[in-house]
Amino acid sequence: MKYDETELRVRFNEVDSWGMVWHGHYITWFEVGRMALLGKFQLLPKDFARMGYIAPVVDLKCVFKEPAHLDEEILIRTTVLKPTKAALTFRFQVQRKSDGKLLASGEETQVLLTLDGRMLYIIPQDLREKFQPLFDYLEEPDSAA
Amino acid sequence: MSDDLVLELKKLTIETLKLEEFSPEDIEDDGQLFGDGLGLDSIDALELVVALEKNYGVVIPDSEVGERVFRSVNTLAQFVREQSSISGQPSAKK
Repeated sequence: MKYDETELRVRFNEVDSWGMVWHGHYITWFEVGRMALLGKFQLLPKDFARMGYIAPVVDLKCVFKEPAHLDEEILIRTTVLKPTKAALTFRFQVQRKSDGKLLASGEETQVLLTLDGRMLYIIPQDLREKFQPLFDYLEEPDSAA
Repeated sequence: MSDDLVLELKKLTIETLKLEEFSPEDIEDDGQLFGDGLGLDSIDALELVVALEKNYGVVIPDSEVGERVFRSVNTLAQFVREQSSISGQPSAKK
């Protein structure tokens, strides 16, 4: 499974009084990775809304392995599982760039709603076609491998 | 026949949603499947939709239809029977 990568440097406001990144910021980092990946395929929230859909998050998990610290360069690695139902599940890894150490991993699931609040149980054809380039990209061999 | 379908649907619900603590006898025919009843949620609905299409060839496109269909096992069975008579296929598990 291919992961898309985004780099960040840990900022002062992200570190708690114990000198490690506060756990809530990892969720923000997941968002950074998700937006970076989706932005490549015109699948940002504004693109969904333009098509008549929203995709709220209904499930979110994060497992914390090692703490990140101020000024460390991190890699936010993001992928999306090919859907088996009308939901998008993203998987995330946060790695320390210097040694590749896995700092945290997570998963987020979004469902699909129309703008008038109807939840879709089947992914409509227009969204399937819009998603295909994203899944084609994630099935390409990882050039870093 | 209709009791068989209701029982099948209960078993399918338990198996699909991994409700290990439940047996078919624990699920009331007219009991609420979502919210206060069996406690299923929107993600469970998505899983059930996939299982129902796979096993019975019925399509539940969205929550508007789902609200009516998933009210209880009886309403679900009614929907499967209706869709089967429309398609001309027997409402039996594939």
